[in-house]
Parts: sequence; structure tokens; C-alpha cells
Amino acid sequence: MIRLYDTIEPNVIDEELLKLAVEEQGPQEAAGQVAKQEGINFKDVKSLQLDFQNILRIDNLWQFVSLRKLQLDNNIIEKIDGLESLVNLVWLDLSFNNIETIEGLDTLVNLEDLSLFSNRIAKMDAMDSLVKLQVFSIGNNMIDNLLNVIYLRRFTYLRSLNLAGNPICEDEEYKLFVTAYLPDLVYLDFRLIDAHTRELGDAKYQYSIYELKHRENQIQAKLEEEQATIAELEKHKAAYVEYLNGPFLFDSLYSEDVEAAKLAYLPGVPELLETYKTKFVEICQNIFDYGLVQQEKRKAEVAIFYECLEEALQENRKQGLKEVEDFDKTYTGYLHTIRNSNDIHYVDNKMSECAEEISRLFDRLMTLEMQLVEQLEETINNFERNIIDMVGVFVENVQGLMAQCRDLENHHHEKLLEISINTLEKIVKSEFDEDLPDDVRALFSDKDTVVNAVGASHDIHLLKIDNREDDLITNVTSWCTATVDKVHNDELDRNRKRVKEINQYVDHLQSDLDNMDFGDLLD
Amino acid sequence: MEVLKEKVEEEEAAEREAEAEQAARKAAEKEKEKEKEKEKEDIILSQEELLDLEQKLSEIEVHIPEIPVAFTKSTIDTSTLPESYRTNTAKEELLIQVADNFSRQYAHLCPDREPLFLHPLNECNIPKFVSTTVRPTLMPYPELYNWDSCAEFVSDFLTMVPLPSAIQLPEYLFSPTSVLKYQKGNCFDFSVLLCAMLIGAGYDAYCVSGYASQEMCLMDLTREMCPLLKKPKEVIEEKEKVIPKKYAIKPARDLRSKFELAQQAKKEKEIKDAEEKKIREEKEKLLEANKPPPDPMHGLRIHAWVLILSGKREVPESFFIDPFTARSYRTQDEHFLGIESIWNHKNYWVNMQDCWNGCKDLTFDLGDPLRWEFLLLGTEKPYLSLMEEDEEEEDLAEDDDIENLDKEDENKNFDMPCSWVEPIYISPKDFETRSPQGKKVIQYKQAKLEKWTPYLNDNGLVCRLTIYEDVDCLKPIEVREWYKNREDTLEMRQMDKVSNWTTEYFKPGHFLALRVHTYKSMIPETERTMEFYHKARVDGLVKRTETPRSMTEYYEGRADFLIYRHIDYGPRSKKFSLSTAETNPRPMLKITERFNRNPEKMADDDVAERIFVVSDERIQLRYHCRDDYITVSTREFLKRNEVDNKGNKIIMTPEMCISYEVEPREHTKKLLFQYEMMMDLKNEERLSKHQVWESEMEVLEILKVREEEEDTHNLTVSIYDTKRNEKSKEQREAMERQAQEEHMRQVEAELDYLAPFLVQLPPGEKLTRWQALRLKDECLNDFKQRLIDKANLIQSRFEKETQELQKKQQWYQENQVTMTMEDEDAYLTYCSQAMFRIRILEQRLNRHKELAPHKYLALEEKLYRDPRLIEYLKVFV
Repeated sequence: MIRLYDTIEPNVIDEELLKLAVEEQGPQEAAGQVAKQEGINFKDVKSLQLDFQNILRIDNLWQFVSLRKLQLDNNIIEKIDGLESLVNLVWLDLSFNNIETIEGLDTLVNLEDLSLFSNRIAKMDAMDSLVKLQVFSIGNNMIDNLLNVIYLRRFTYLRSLNLAGNPICEDEEYKLFVTAYLPDLVYLDFRLIDAHTRELGDAKYQYSIYELKHRENQIQAKLEEEQATIAELEKHKAAYVEYLNGPFLFDSLYSEDVEAAKLAYLPGVPELLETYKTKFVEICQNIFDYGLVQQEKRKAEVAIFYECLEEALQENRKQGLKEVEDFDKTYTGYLHTIRNSNDIHYVDNKMSECAEEISRLFDRLMTLEMQLVEQLEETINNFERNIIDMVGVFVENVQGLMAQCRDLENHHHEKLLEISINTLEKIVKSEFDEDLPDDVRALFSDKDTVVNAVGASHDIHLLKIDNREDDLITNVTSWCTATVDKVHNDELDRNRKRVKEINQYVDHLQSDLDNMDFGDLLD
Repeated sequence: MEVLKEKVEEEEAAEREAEAEQAARKAAEKEKEKEKEKEKEDIILSQEELLDLEQKLSEIEVHIPEIPVAFTKSTIDTSTLPESYRTNTAKEELLIQVADNFSRQYAHLCPDREPLFLHPLNECNIPKFVSTTVRPTLMPYPELYNWDSCAEFVSDFLTMVPLPSAIQLPEYLFSPTSVLKYQKGNCFDFSVLLCAMLIGAGYDAYCVSGYASQEMCLMDLTREMCPLLKKPKEVIEEKEKVIPKKYAIKPARDLRSKFELAQQAKKEKEIKDAEEKKIREEKEKLLEANKPPPDPMHGLRIHAWVLILSGKREVPESFFIDPFTARSYRTQDEHFLGIESIWNHKNYWVNMQDCWNGCKDLTFDLGDPLRWEFLLLGTEKPYLSLMEEDEEEEDLAEDDDIENLDKEDENKNFDMPCSWVEPIYISPKDFETRSPQGKKVIQYKQAKLEKWTPYLNDNGLVCRLTIYEDVDCLKPIEVREWYKNREDTLEMRQMDKVSNWTTEYFKPGHFLALRVHTYKSMIPETERTMEFYHKARVDGLVKRTETPRSMTEYYEGRADFLIYRHIDYGPRSKKFSLSTAETNPRPMLKITERFNRNPEKMADDDVAERIFVVSDERIQLRYHCRDDYITVSTREFLKRNEVDNKGNKIIMTPEMCISYEVEPREHTKKLLFQYEMMMDLKNEERLSKHQVWESEMEVLEILKVREEEEDTHNLTVSIYDTKRNEKSKEQREAMERQAQEEHMRQVEAELDYLAPFLVQLPPGEKLTRWQALRLKDECLNDFKQRLIDKANLIQSRFEKETQELQKKQQWYQENQVTMTMEDEDAYLTYCSQAMFRIRILEQRLNRHKELAPHKYLALEEKLYRDPRLIEYLKVFV
């Protein structure tokens, strides 16, 4: 009645509402008292219930980052939004609202149970990211296309589906269709799907499903293939020799070169080009192979370094643990004697001994740490030197190979120039009797044009080769610095963390001791 | 050569000695009983004679076997033995001739060697060649397929009898069948039997006749360690040398003075050396003490054993088996002092190698004619070294040409005759009983081993090893007992007599999943350790150790990652009521629980150790250590519910929870968090206490069950054991009975009703139709007659009975007055009996009358259906 006449103002989710809800639904009795005393942080709330609040818009929920269950049913929400930050949400109830489209759920990857019952949704869509969905309720909506059910095939964990009350349910084949197209479904409209229905459905839609499956498989296979190629390419990229295992570089030389295409019409040039290409590709392949080998070497070097680092750290940790354990034993012994004794002087004595013991522990742990730092520094420097050397050798060799490429290009250029000039002379002497396209013939108007054209082509080629070489060298050098920097930074972080830990521990022990002192005095 | 000569001299000396010994023995036998008298007489005798006698007496003492077990020809019943035992076939005769010839040549060529063991007499006084005594037999028991179990069986099954003379080859060699029958034998009997079984099982086995040490010949194991006490050799794993990795960190610099270190090491070494020396000296002393006295007949004692050559049955290396003890020895073992000859069922070889160094230098390449002289040519034994084959064969031919011309002629194409021995048979019962009377005792060095057949002792005891502190075996320090087929799956019990600990080992299958139980007494709440098959238990308990004031439990594979629980008890509070363990439990002071790392939790949330200090109302938590940290988080709860100054109840204060966190986190600081955790822990504490109580109850139950089991000690019987399993026995007998009855019925059913009539017809001819009809009619008539006869017979009997009854009645009426009570009684009983008989006869007659037509019709039907008559009678149907 109320809603019909819209007499009550829509409610807004504000601080007060949330506080009330949280307090009401939080811990009870004694725990509740404690909770009340210190207040509840929205960050820690695990479940929240905001039903029958006449809410129009979802808002102000960004604080509830650890929320797992959210109930917003029986409101007047028209649009799903404001849920982006609730990534831990497992259960979301939006039933009995006025929602028209499914949206705003992309970040809720952990969602398992979603209810959109009794809304105004016409199409199931925009839920691709809900990969863990198990229970989906979308009854009493306006879904009118049976084929829309096929969309739900992507949810491999979907076991329970409620579609009752939608226009599609009036279709005679609705049940069979859904069971056939969603073979993993166990419950439809909250009823167990029996084997008989399943059989009927399978028989009926056998062929169309087969076709569908085939298509899906094809898409899947294609996807996998693409992924494989991408992975392969990634591997090459990691070695900085991508696109060098074939005529890619050579082709790229000529892709933007207009003049070369024209010159190719000259007699003798195609053959020349062919030999040039084979030689060039061969060198490229050499670079490629060499690059892969070097990459393996670098990888092995890094791996062995990290292995040794790990060993050293573990060894150090073992020693540290032992120190702490030993100390723990003596310390508890001290505490025991202190607790059990009455003589104030004796206690004082023991206390000071205890404090000494603590400072000794601190010294020992710090010595261990400093020792490790020194040792690691040496090793890391060693590693740095080696890796830089390695990269240097790699760069040098690649440069040598690239120089060979350039030589080839120069050689080719000379040959081409010779042929061009010969042709020009022939044309001038009118001895040239082969057909040439007009724009090519236009080149051979005078010597300068020809030489310029050939030179431009040569320049482009050289530029491309240089660029490729630069790329490779910059990449590999930047990798080198990045690796070395990372090692240094990690070590620094580790050192700081450990020192902090030691300090913290010692502080704790010290304060513990002081506290006890205080307590004893009170007694 | 010199060595050989020496040896010959030695042998001669030994021979003389042996003769002397025999003479002495004879003398001793005669005069043993009168020894004392004789001694008195001796005083009068001259000095020399006295010395002589003393010498002889000392000799006697050494060589008389401790237990004179006699196993001679006379004890064997030869009457039932088969023909082959009592005669020689022509071939065997020939073989013996060949052997004699060989022996003569051998004596000629090697005059200083002992005669060979070629054809001793068997139990029927017939000379038989030794190779024919070996009858290879594969035993039907899978347990006897391997050499070790086979040898063990032979050593268990037979009782050892020493050779009649320790330095002379025996005159007799009995057949293995007789040996098995009487379960006694000397070393040759043992070897031949074992050899036959091993060859049957596919081994390349040989009997060896040679010389061995005194302990070996007399089966004296008192200087040997018991094999059950020998510790398995520890395999020393060679540590792979760790190659220092490229980036391995350099060790921290050692700042101590090297000189001082060296000095200290030197000092330590000196002390250590001194200690070692002391130990070594002690050891040597002990060894010296245990050394056997030197044997005067060392190297002359004759022994027989078994040699197994490598090759067959995947035997990698040749070795000896001593048949007495079933132990294997390397061929270089120092107990074996020489080999004269070896044989199997196919051939006989004489050792031509010098045995001055025992068997250490012998090679067992039987194809080598220089080292092993064979008796029969055409042996199947191939040359082991194939390379030299041609050469050797030439050598062989030459040797034969020059030396043994005639022998070669004779031996060519002569193979070993079949064995004269019956197949070796061991009945399943004997096989199971093994030792005579099912019991065997072996005395080892400081240990005694007793063995029994399974089911012989009703508590399932099969083996007992007693270990003594001293060499004389007076003070036992440990007793180990092995059991079999026990219902409580007890397998072994070890009792330490010094510390009074008893350890029991159980096989899997006990319903309480008990594996090991170590205790001093069966009273609860004393020191004990119980180990369990944790996979058979729901709670995954591995071990529970108890002392009067504590209990420790170890777990494995639990879903809650608990691995350890320790409970400290306080002294029991004194109550005046009846206080048993159940009504008045010991107060728990402290419960310590440890957990494994749960990989699903963060290290800071995963409790490693939880201590409930019950007496102090404290709970201590220690968490697991993070991967890259060296300190661990701890938390301590004081759960005293206090009341503040105003009388308000304090629920939670920050002082009630003291915690150290490796990395401080926000939510753990909250009082709510701490309060909830404390509530959880209180709950857990309750649960833990309950579990502890359950454990205590379980201990009580186990002890009760164990005591009951120990009292009843039932034995299990396999369902495949047809002899002992009563149920299956009954069932089998019932089945047999049934089968027999069935058989009887069938025989009846197969009675041919036409046979008497068919006999009358001429045999082999086909029936004519007329004949068939007549046959049918005759048969039917005959049957009819029989039915009538039977009816008549019944009637006549009936009449007879009635008549007699009437007579009796008449007689009774006549004499009724004069009759005594007894007579009357007799008459009455007679009457009732007669009436009963009459009534039965009447019933029978009626029944017969009723059934007769049916029977008649049935026969007629049957005759129409009879395959022999059917074609002639078809028309009428």
C-alpha cells in the first residue's frame, strides 16, 4: 500500500543507518557489551542486513571491505552500483527491488550466491566475471527469450537456478530446454531435476547442443592456440630477439620503402634481392639462436644466485631461531625464580641480570644480522659484476652480427647502384628494350634521381637495422639494471625488516620485564 | 711339495693317533665301569704304565661325544625297503667297477691322499655309488623353494648324529628316505638330503666331502653369536661432496687463535686415544678368554656339506651351506679346511688343488680337468671359461691318451644310472611339525634358543631366546618370546630381567590398534608406553607415554593438526570415600598441546603451542613462525573473572591478555577479538579435559582387555587349515557323507531292470519285435509276481503273528490263575508288542495294496520309454 502511493520518502544509506544496523546485527550479550565499549569498525563487519529500509540507491558501502554477506532485499533500488569495493562478497541478495538491468557486478569475483528475484530484468547479461557463481535466482522477472538461458552456460559451478515467474516459463519446452542446455544444473526452480526430464531434454536438443558445443570447442581451441603463440612470443621477447627467427626484419626493411619496390623491376635485381634475403635471414636467425642461448644462461645465473641467497638466509634464520630459543629458555627460568621469590633484593638482582641477558640477546642477533649483511653484500656485488659482464658480451656479439647485416646492406646497395646506373646508361642509349612501368621509367630520367632513389632506400634500411639494434640493447641493459636494483632493494628491505623485528622483540621483552616489576611492587 | 709332505706326515700322525684312540676307546668301553677299581690297581703298576694310561684316559675324555646318539644300521628296519635298495642293477655294478678302477688309479697316482668316498654301503649292506644316492626332488611346499628355508628345514627336521669316527669316512651312507623316516643322520646324510632337495629346486648344488673345524663337525654353536642378536650392518651412506655453489656466501672469519685450537685438539686426541686403547685391550682380553682350546685333530675332522655354484637360480656367487646349522658361508671361510671330492646326481669330481690354506684358494671351475678330476666323461658341466675351451679340450685329450687310455675307453658314453632311492616324501604333518617332537633347542654364545611348532603350545609360543649375562648361561638378562596365531595378534614379547621392563609387539589387526606396549606392571597410572597403528585409529594416536604424574600423547595425520598433548597431574586429593581412578581422578595441573602448521592459515593466526595452566587459570598461546622471521607471536590470557571496586563484573580488560606480535595488526588489538578468542579457548579447554579423561578411560580398558586376553590366550585357526579348523572339518565331513549317500542312490537308480531278461537272449544280436514284446511282458509279469509275492509274504507273516498271539492268549487264559505277577507282566508286554507288530503288518499290507498298481504302471511306462525297447513298442503307444 505504501509503495503504491509512494507516500514515504525514499531512504538514504547514511552513517546512522549503517551504525544502527551494524550494532543490531553485531555480537550479543557480554561480547556485545565489549563491542559497544570500543565501537565496531566497518572494516571488520562480515555480514550486513539492510532489508525493508525503502532504500532507493546503494551508497556509502565502500568501507565494508571485508563484507561477505549483504542483504538489500525489499527496497526500491533501481540500479546496481556502489558495490565495486566489496570484492570479498560471497552472498548478495537484491531481491524485491526495481532493478531493470544487471550491471555493476564486475568486481565481485568471489560471489557464489546471487538473488535478483522479483525485479524488472529482461535480459541476463554482464555477469561474465562471476566465475564462482553457484546459486542464481532470477525468478519473477521479465525474461522473455528462452535463448538467453544459453548465456548461463559459462558458469561451470552453477548448480541451482530459479527462473520461475518469467515469461519464458510459459513456454512448454522451457524445462526441457533449460535442463538440456545446462547439463551441470542440479536444481531448477528449487526442485531437483530428475533423470527423466534430463533424458527427454537431451534427446530433444541433442543436435543443436552438439552444434553449440562444437562451436564452443572451436572458440576454445582458437583461444588456446593464440595463447600458445603469445606465450612463445613472450619467451622470445624475454630474450630480446622477438621477430628475428624469420624474414620479419627483412620484410620490415622493405615495407615502407617505395623506391626499392620500383627498382625491383630492373633486370637482375630480383635475383640479387633473393640472395640478399637469404643471407640476411640467416644472420637474423643466428642472432635469434644466440639470443635464446644467452637468455637461458642469464636465467640460470639468476636462478643459482637466488638459490644461494635463499640458502644463506635460511642458514641465518636457523641460527637466529636457535638464539631466540636458547634465550627463551633462560628467560623463562629467570621469570620463574623472580615470581617465586620474596626477597626484594634478590628480585632486583635477578631483574638486572635479566635485563643484561636481553641486551646480550640483542647484541647477538644484531651481530648475526650484520654478519649476514656483509656476506651478502660481497655476493651481490659478485653477482652484479657477472651479470653485467654477461649482458656486455651479449650486446657485443649482437652488435657484431648486426654489423654483418649492415655490411650485407652496403653490398646490396652497391650492386643495386651498379645495376641502376647500367640500366640508366642503357636507357639513355636506348638499348633498353624491356617493359617498365611508367613510374619506374620516370626514375631513370637522370642520374641524380636514380642515385637518390637508391640512396633513400639504403638509408631507410640502415635506419631500420639501427633501430632494431638499439631496441635490443636498451631492453637488455634496462633488464640488467632492473635485476640488479631489485636484488639490492630486496636486501635492503630484508635488512630493515629484520632489524625492526629484533628491536621490536627486545622492546617487548624489556617492557614485559618492567611491567612485572611494577606488578610485584604493587603486591 | 713340502707343504704336501708335511700334510701327509700330519695325516699319518693323525692316523696313528686315531688308531690309538680307537684302541683306547675299546679299552675304555670295557673298563669304564670299573674305572675306580682300576685306578686302585694302577697304583701298583709301574710308572710308565701309569703315564700311558693317563695319556689314554685324557684322550678318551676329549673324544667321547657328549650325547651318544646312535644311528646305525641295526636301528633301521630293512624288511620293508623296495627291491632297488637290496640289489644292484647291472649298470650300477658296472659303475661300481668303474669307480673301483678309478679309485685304484687314483691311489696309484696320489698315494699320499686319503681314499675317496665312492661307494659306501647302504642300509641293506649293498654298495651304492654316492651319486646315485642323490635323488633330486622338488618339494611340493613353496616354503622349500629357496635354499635358505630348505637348509633350515633340513637342519630342524633331522637330529644330528656324530660320525662313528671323527677322522674316518663312514662305512655306511643311508638313503635319504630312511634318514627322513628316522629323523636322524650324520653330516653325510644331512648333505645328501639337502643336496637332493636343492637340485630339485633348480640350484646347481653339490655334496662336498672334506675337512672342517671342530665346531662345525660337532655342531657346536656355543662360540657363535645368535643370529637373532646380530645387528644388521649399518649402511654407511657416502655423502656426496657438496660443490660450493657460485654465489655461496663465505663463512664468517674465524678470529680464534689457530695455535690454541691445535693444542686443544691434540690434548683431546690424546685422551681419546688412551680410552680407545683401553677398550681395545679389554676387548682383546675378552677374545682371548673366549678362544677355543686348540684342537689336536685340527684339519683331520671329516665333514660333509653342500656347495652351491653360481649361475642357476640367479645365484651371483658360489657359497657353502653347512647342513647342520643351515648357515651359509663364503667359500673362503676359515671353518672349511679342505675338500676331497664333490658330487651331484650326475657325476663325481676329485679335488686336485692343494688345500694347505683351507678352501681359501680353491676355484670351483669344474670344467678344468687340472683342478677337478672327473669320474665320468660326458659330464654336462660346461667349461666356465669359454675362451680356453679348445685348448683345454686338447689338453684333456692328451692327458687321457697318455694316462688313462683304458679308462677313457670304458667311460665313453657311460652316464650315471638312475638313483636307487625312492622319491623323497615329507608328509604335510611332518613338514609342519618339523623338529622331532616339535621342539628344538640351540645353545649359542651367552644365549639359548628354543623353537616349537606352531599350535604345540596352547599360548601360541613358537620361539624363545634367552640371553645370559655370563658365558655359563646362569644369569638371564633378557628373554624374548615369539608367538604365532594368537587371537590378540601378539607377535613378540621382550622381557628385560634387569630393569623389569616388558615390551609386547603386536601385529596389525588388534581391535584396539595396539602396536607396542611397554610396561613394568599392569597396574594403571604407572610407567608405560603404548604405541598404536595410528592409521587404524580415528583419532590418529601414535604413542601414549605415562608416568604416575604425567601423560604424553603423540598424534599424526589429524584434521585439526594436533600432534602432541602432555598432561601434568597433581597429587590425588585424599577422600575418605572409596576412591578409584574413576571416581576420584587425579587433578590436572597443566595441559600442553602442540599443533602442526596449517597451510591454509597465516602463521600469525596458526597456533603452534597451547598451554592450559589449569592450576593458575592461565592460557598461553605460541604461534607458528613466519617464513622469514626469527621471533614468534605469543599471547597469554589470564582468565580470572574479577569484580571491580564498584562490584561490577569485569568482562574483559586489556590486562587480561598480554600479547606480543611479530607484526602488529589492527584487529587483534580489539577487546572484542580478544574476548571471543578467550571464550573459544575456554571451550577448547573443556574439550581437551574431556579428551584427556577419555584417554585415561581408554588406558584402563586396554589394560583390562590385555589381562583378559593374556588369561585366555585363544589361538586363531585359518579357514584354510583343514586339520585344525573344527568348523570346516565338520562341514567337510558332512559334505563327504552327503556325497556318499548321493552316490548310493545313484547306484540304486542305475539298477537295470531289464538285465536279467536280456541275459537270456543270445548276446550281441539285435532284438526282434517279437522278442521285445516278450521281453516287456516277461518283465511286467515278473514284477507283478514279485508284488503278489510280497503281499503274500506280508500276509503270511501277519497270519503267523495273529496265530501266535491267539495261542498265547489261550495259554494265558488257561494258566491265568497259577501265574505270578512277573509272568503276567511279561505276557502283557508281549501282547502289546504283538499287537503293535500286527498293526504295522496290516498297515504295510494296505499300503502295498495301494501302491502296487501304481508301481506296476510306472514300470510299464518306464519300459515303453526304455531306449532299448522303444522302437519296437512305439506302435502301441
